[in-house]
Amino acid sequence: MTMRLWFPASIVILWGGLALVSPLLPLNPHAIDLANILTPPGATTWLGYDDLGRSIADRLATGAQTSFIVALAVVFLGVTLGGLLGATSGYLSGWVDHIFVRIVDILLAFPGLLLAIALAAALGPGIENVIVALSLTGWVGYARLARAQVLSLKQADHVVAARAIGTSTWRILTRHLLPLLTAPLIVEASFGIAGAIIAEAGLSFLGLGVQPPEASWGSMIRDGTRYMLVAPHLVIIPGMTLMLVVLAANLLGDWLRDWLDIKDQVGKR
Amino acid sequence: MIPQFLISSVRKSPRFIIIIHWPATLLILALGLVFGACSSQPDPNTIRMGVAQAPTNLDPRYATDATSARINRLLYSRLVDFEQDATPVPSLATWVQQSPTHYVFTLRDHVPEFHNGQGVTSQDIKATYESILSPHNASPHRGVLHIIDRMETPSDTEISFYLKRTDPFFPSYLVIGILPANLIANRHPFSDHPIGNGPFRFLDRPDETRVRLVRQTDGQLVEFLRIPDPTVRVLKLLAGEIQLLQNDLPPELVAYLANQPTLHLQQSRGANFAYLGFNHQDPLTGNILVRQAIAHAINREDIIRYVFQNRARQAQALFPPDHWAGPVQLTGYPYDPDRARTLLAEAGFGISHRPTLIYKTSTDPFRLRLATIIQDQLSRVGIDVVIQSHDWGTFYGDIKTGRFQMYSLAWVGVKTPDIFRYAFHSQSIPPTGANRGRFASPIADHLIEQAEVSTNRTEQRTLYHDLQVHFLETLPYIPLWFEDHICFSSTEITGYRLESDGNFDGLLQVQRNTSTTHVASIRSPAI
Repeated sequence: MTMRLWFPASIVILWGGLALVSPLLPLNPHAIDLANILTPPGATTWLGYDDLGRSIADRLATGAQTSFIVALAVVFLGVTLGGLLGATSGYLSGWVDHIFVRIVDILLAFPGLLLAIALAAALGPGIENVIVALSLTGWVGYARLARAQVLSLKQADHVVAARAIGTSTWRILTRHLLPLLTAPLIVEASFGIAGAIIAEAGLSFLGLGVQPPEASWGSMIRDGTRYMLVAPHLVIIPGMTLMLVVLAANLLGDWLRDWLDIKDQVGKR
Repeated sequence: MIPQFLISSVRKSPRFIIIIHWPATLLILALGLVFGACSSQPDPNTIRMGVAQAPTNLDPRYATDATSARINRLLYSRLVDFEQDATPVPSLATWVQQSPTHYVFTLRDHVPEFHNGQGVTSQDIKATYESILSPHNASPHRGVLHIIDRMETPSDTEISFYLKRTDPFFPSYLVIGILPANLIANRHPFSDHPIGNGPFRFLDRPDETRVRLVRQTDGQLVEFLRIPDPTVRVLKLLAGEIQLLQNDLPPELVAYLANQPTLHLQQSRGANFAYLGFNHQDPLTGNILVRQAIAHAINREDIIRYVFQNRARQAQALFPPDHWAGPVQLTGYPYDPDRARTLLAEAGFGISHRPTLIYKTSTDPFRLRLATIIQDQLSRVGIDVVIQSHDWGTFYGDIKTGRFQMYSLAWVGVKTPDIFRYAFHSQSIPPTGANRGRFASPIADHLIEQAEVSTNRTEQRTLYHDLQVHFLETLPYIPLWFEDHICFSSTEITGYRLESDGNFDGLLQVQRNTSTTHVASIRSPAI
């Protein structure tokens, strides 16, 4: 194991761990202490306090939970929906595939975040609606990848053999094709996690994500922008955290892609 | 030094090409912005003031927002003005009360001409008020002036107002700018091209964010710039793009600017009354015990100390003690969470049966912040609060139609006690008045009516004192605070004086120091 793995892995583990453990910790992200308004980070004040005198450390941990839930849910729904639809379309070919490709092309031509903003605005603010909005725009990438993979894999010998002995389409898809799609989809999903974190933060920044007083990194940054001149830590701390987690998710995805790339592995040997 | 593993990752991934180049892209963009900004240097002789909202209407017959009202004061003159304690005093004209329903106003000598060169006559005054009173024009000020029965102009300098009923505060209502009669008849668009006889004349409005005026006495150009974001307003003041900034700043930015050696801070006690309003027909907020519990649960002292940074004072009544009708030495509801819990228990609520209130406010971040603090303080005594923040139009519409349990708002620029009838009399339910909470008290009605017919100022003061004591007992509103007025001016200008009601009259005396450039003024403390 190299530093290239451990650096992003440790950040992602820390993020996920914090998100999973935060409900069990004695955190008080909504407790208002007027005497601590805009207190900067220090030895006794941890990461400081926000404009209502709430602990930034506690809100950061709660925000980790928000981003973790959204990222996992969006990626899970995207991979499942996109993977199944893409694989089916690629395998069936013909007019089904034609229609499917046109739909995917239309959705890809539309800016993803803009569509998510429109959907979130139409559905109303809230974490559930953020998940729905991001999933409805995020499945397309997985679908295109799954379709492309299936188009080449369906000519593979074992698939042709399965078809020759009369195996059902559903069985071929689930037993012979989807297992081979797992690796590229996992790599894509790792990048999708980074995208979902950014998108959730963006929607919360715009006020379409989690609603006050619940914490999200995006809403923490938005609230902090009003105090950039007097309390820059309100923006810097959640901003740096967001950047580190997204960077780590991307680096981990890169590592995963290289690790799963058989050509790369052979080259190294 | 960049770790090797990062470099290898970046090199292997095409998606990171953009990351490699983004600092350079940002640098190019930043340079573009800098050079772009440098290309339009502001005129060094103009005095610029940053305002949060642009004036919506420069026709005083229709203007209702604070910025319009303050700029219109500069463009137009009015019959009556106010002293520091809100006592009405003559401005364009002196007056004599001939009978309880008959006032005669006489134009003073040497009244300035209109900006188009016409002289001001009583016909102009009559035409202005007739225009406001005409139902076809739908002026928002018609309601207050509806008391006028008719007007007569026996001479060019004299006008008689005949009233439908007696009202000792009538002269206080004649504060609307006077317009030329012939232009009113020609339906001149005053909002786009104001013509008054105020100390400033309108120059132009180059775009929606800027209004330029010229001072009549010396030709000094004054420009109002709409800059909605307070941080941007502050940065523009520090950069020398504006020279004046008045109010509409978060307390933290006020404290930040107060420490800037290149700026001059003026502060005065404000009289804008912030309050919590209630729906008195709601079973929960209509209960006096619940309202008293809320009053005891709010720690106004801490909010003023930590949030306003002591730039506000506690309110016990609608008028501050320095107003002639303001009560003195009233003791309100001190912060006492135990007492609040006891009152809630008396009202039938407890730990297992917590009341839930819907608290409406605007989307203004500072108002939302105050609402969140109040939500927290009420939660500590056992009242759950759900905050609903709406854009101003929706919020104000809900308040006017009574669709609320609890809300926070402020009365701005109130000078005369006729507000008591308007906001609290049982016959002032909207649309007739502004008794939005449907408060009904025979005692309050009686005191309001008694004070209205009294012609003795001392007796009126006593009656209004009793009325405000009654309000403190019955809590139609919970009084919160009066926010201070704040003004920052750069060292590039001198002579600006902050007025007690936050108007812009200080612009009459302000001078631009042409001998010192902004750069010199900023650097001088460091040298």
